[in-house]
Amino acid sequence: MFPQKRRTRLMAFAAAGSLLALTACSSGGGSAEANDDGEPSGEITVLTWRTDLVEDGTFDEYVETFKAKYPDVTDVKVEGLTDYEGEVKTRMNTDNYGDVLAIPGSVTPDQYGDFFEPLGSQEEIGAEYQWINDKSFEGQSYGIPVVGNVQGFVYNKRVWEEAGITEFPDTPEAFLEALQAIKDNGVEVAPLYTNYKDGWPLSQWDGWLGAVSADPDWKNKIVESDTPWTEDSDYGVVDGLIYDAVAQGLTEADPTTTNWEESKRLLGTGEVATMVLGSWAIPQMAAAAEAAGASGEDIAYAPTPVKVDGKFHSVAGGDYNLGINVNSDNKATARAWIDWFNHESGFSESQAGLSPIIDGPVPAALDSFVQEVELITLNPAPEGKESLFADIDTASGIVTTDPKFRQKSIDDARSGARTKQQIFDDLNAQWAEGRASAG
Amino acid sequence: MTTAPSGLSDPTTAAAQQSDAARTPRQPRGGAGRGTAWYRRLTPYYFLLIPVGLLLLLTFVPVLNMFWYSATDWDGLDKTKNVVGLDNYVEVFTDPDNVRVFYVSLYYFAASFLQMAIALYFATILSFRTRFRNMWKGILFFPYLINGVAIGLIFLNFLKPGGGIDTILMAAGLESLIQQWTGDPDIANFSLAGVSVWRYMGLNFVMFLGAIQSINPEIYEASDLDGANRWHQFRYIILPSIRPIIGLSLILAISGALSVFEVPFVMTGGANGTETFVIRTVWMAFNRNLVGLASAMAVVLLLIVLLVTWIQRKLIPEEEVDLT
Amino acid sequence: MIRTATTTAKYVSLVVASIVMLLPLGLILFGSFKTSQEFLSTGPMTLPADWGNIENYVTAFTRGNMLAAFGNTVFIFAMAIVGTILIGAATAYALDRFRFAGRTTVLALFLLATLVPGVTTQVATFQIINGLGLYDSRFALILIFMGTDIISIYIFLQFIRAIPKSLDEAAKIEGAGHLRIFFQIILPNLKPAIATVVIIKGIAIYNEFYLPFLYLPSKELRPISTTLFDFKGPYGSQWEIISAGVVITIIPILVLFLFLQRYIYNGFTSGATK
Repeated sequence: MFPQKRRTRLMAFAAAGSLLALTACSSGGGSAEANDDGEPSGEITVLTWRTDLVEDGTFDEYVETFKAKYPDVTDVKVEGLTDYEGEVKTRMNTDNYGDVLAIPGSVTPDQYGDFFEPLGSQEEIGAEYQWINDKSFEGQSYGIPVVGNVQGFVYNKRVWEEAGITEFPDTPEAFLEALQAIKDNGVEVAPLYTNYKDGWPLSQWDGWLGAVSADPDWKNKIVESDTPWTEDSDYGVVDGLIYDAVAQGLTEADPTTTNWEESKRLLGTGEVATMVLGSWAIPQMAAAAEAAGASGEDIAYAPTPVKVDGKFHSVAGGDYNLGINVNSDNKATARAWIDWFNHESGFSESQAGLSPIIDGPVPAALDSFVQEVELITLNPAPEGKESLFADIDTASGIVTTDPKFRQKSIDDARSGARTKQQIFDDLNAQWAEGRASAG
Repeated sequence: MTTAPSGLSDPTTAAAQQSDAARTPRQPRGGAGRGTAWYRRLTPYYFLLIPVGLLLLLTFVPVLNMFWYSATDWDGLDKTKNVVGLDNYVEVFTDPDNVRVFYVSLYYFAASFLQMAIALYFATILSFRTRFRNMWKGILFFPYLINGVAIGLIFLNFLKPGGGIDTILMAAGLESLIQQWTGDPDIANFSLAGVSVWRYMGLNFVMFLGAIQSINPEIYEASDLDGANRWHQFRYIILPSIRPIIGLSLILAISGALSVFEVPFVMTGGANGTETFVIRTVWMAFNRNLVGLASAMAVVLLLIVLLVTWIQRKLIPEEEVDLT
Repeated sequence: MIRTATTTAKYVSLVVASIVMLLPLGLILFGSFKTSQEFLSTGPMTLPADWGNIENYVTAFTRGNMLAAFGNTVFIFAMAIVGTILIGAATAYALDRFRFAGRTTVLALFLLATLVPGVTTQVATFQIINGLGLYDSRFALILIFMGTDIISIYIFLQFIRAIPKSLDEAAKIEGAGHLRIFFQIILPNLKPAIATVVIIKGIAIYNEFYLPFLYLPSKELRPISTTLFDFKGPYGSQWEIISAGVVITIIPILVLFLFLQRYIYNGFTSGATK
């Protein structure tokens, strides 16, 4: 039933005496039938975080079109994972994590090569695609973003206007005041929704990092600092705002019962006024608004509420990057899927995102945003320090790629167990410790 | 229950053969006549080959590996494992997030007393003549058979703001008692432990009821003649006869409290201070790739369970637990 | 007087307990027949407007993969139960009917294994399953279910003692080999033990969540519990569909329970105390 696995199983039994060595043996099974550079053919498995698009049949259409172009491809199995980061990380303990998948945020740059097939040199890929630095290591690129996003927050224009707010807030304080005004004006659920329970939406706030200081090198500077969390640092503004909003009762009363799918409807109908998410969220929110009988026109997008030199800034960057499982035995087809997905699927347009292709079109929904806001692209880490941030992050025990530390500060903001300053102090202390042991 | 000696000593071959001669009826001398003596002697090993092989592969090798991993910084992927000695164990007991999972298990442990008390109450009253007895018994027991995921979802629906329990309190005019059942960090663990009581009470109940019903009815009759009332019967007949099974349930409660997983995982995902031992271990091992540290957590859990079981064996002699 | 009062108290407590047990289930049942709009606009205690609205069930079956999930659960159950029975009976046969070198060691190993909760060792078991190439295969679960079920072995040991040795002896005199004795004498006489094991094991497998969650990520291989868990994602805002999914998973176990009550109680009281 599982022919490609039989070989490994035999090897494993042979090695039963030294079971410790087993994981080493089991990699790279089935090389006999591997299709590394040939014509796309056979079957591949694609892992996606967009369970909604699997559910509504969009992916079935993609697969059909792809198969029409490459008739030798017999099947593309698409698996939608609800807790994408968590489930993929578990599967990455084995060889079995699909052929094409989005690289989870928690994989550190120095691990790319262990898990993913290099797609080409950074230069070569960079000539065709934008925002590829993030998933590159030592000159090799391992992933290509499916769509480019700008970062800020998505809000229900009708609710904001009814509360008398018509201008983008330009300081964190103004942002909180706006939320307060919305609350005073009466909003059914909350002015700001954290999506605490699902966890990952809390990591979306990281999109503001860099926009606060308008510094494309913020990440490269933070690895040199022992105090990333201060009153007006990138992290300080983000985590401070979350804390204040929660402490001032501007978020949902019971964060543990939040639900992502539900939140889309709440924003669409105006029961929630604001959520901090990348621009990729706009079409989903608009669709949910329509589905709930409200107007998709109400959904709008605003930049990070900080002005530097009189201007708003927004970090433009890749959404999830598609990579190829290094253990895949059908890399040619996997690669064809990635290229096809970026060039021909129409995915980025349908998501109202920026095309990952250099000089690709700007979608209508973001046209005005792009006029008013200066886009910045983060600079890559200097040679040899590509994984420094991740190393410190892991060693510090904070793990900024995991929403846990933010859930915890929300817990504390609600219970008052720690003040904002105490949280900053604790995070800074951990970070400094991480720097000492990783640097 | 079992005839295994408490020690693990392996008898010498000679001794075993001797006992073989003494205890097993001999093979018929001239009977089947196929196979040689050594072939016959190998028979039990053939039967045990697969069972013992699987036992070693899936229980003992993992346990040994776990001890080994726990002394390393292995991330589950690296080809090499660096020995770090007891660092992982230090981390298990010093990182407040790790220590907290022990604290969370106390809620479930405490709840199991409530659970046993309720189970004992219903087992006692249903052991006397009651109308619709089988129906009551079925209702009280059935939740135990339901899938843990389903239970988590059922109670998400029941406890969510504006859900079943809030509606009842509202209807009863008790709005002031409405809480964020999973949202308030002071209440969340009580709610989750309560769900656990709902789920497992039936098992305790049926076990207690079985034990009570195995008491010879003549004893009750005799006590009736002596003028004993229900309380006396409970105190002097029922309670002593089910003491061993209560002891056993208590022990199970401790290891049960430490291995809670499904209900909090489905309901809160371990957030808001409800993270349990298993949720944290899984997260560590597979999301953060700290296989070494996760193994140390698992070893600690294993040792606690072993310790508790050892205490049980000391306190409750084996033959007393045997009810059948 | 006192007698009536206590009797009343007794029935009141039974009724209250029954409500506590049944209400959460009932609300899920109500919800499963409501339309999406209805679920949001009516209270949880409100009865559904149309008890014939089975749309949520259709969605749960067709798009929620419930049918495949039942297939997988049945497949895993069937394979694992056959394996468990053969392994349990073989072990019991060898340990009870033979005296051989290492017997006490084997007994001690099994005894020791009862103390190791499976949930603790998965961190390391995962590496072994993966090494065997069984990750994301239903055989991973089957192997673990049949290879770590020490309780069943004890149940078989208990029952095999009750089978008179004279039966084996008689067969032996007629020239039967050990395999034939095992299959023709021992197994058929272990029927009550097998029934107990099938019930306890069946319910455990049906409800198991942790193992498929770890080992079976592929959608089309998932059994009931992880399939239901997955409802939380795409249907997170559609509680009426989640409710239908929950009801679907409960129905088979409810039907079995109603028909096999007595055996189930016996199974658990004997299984739990061994």
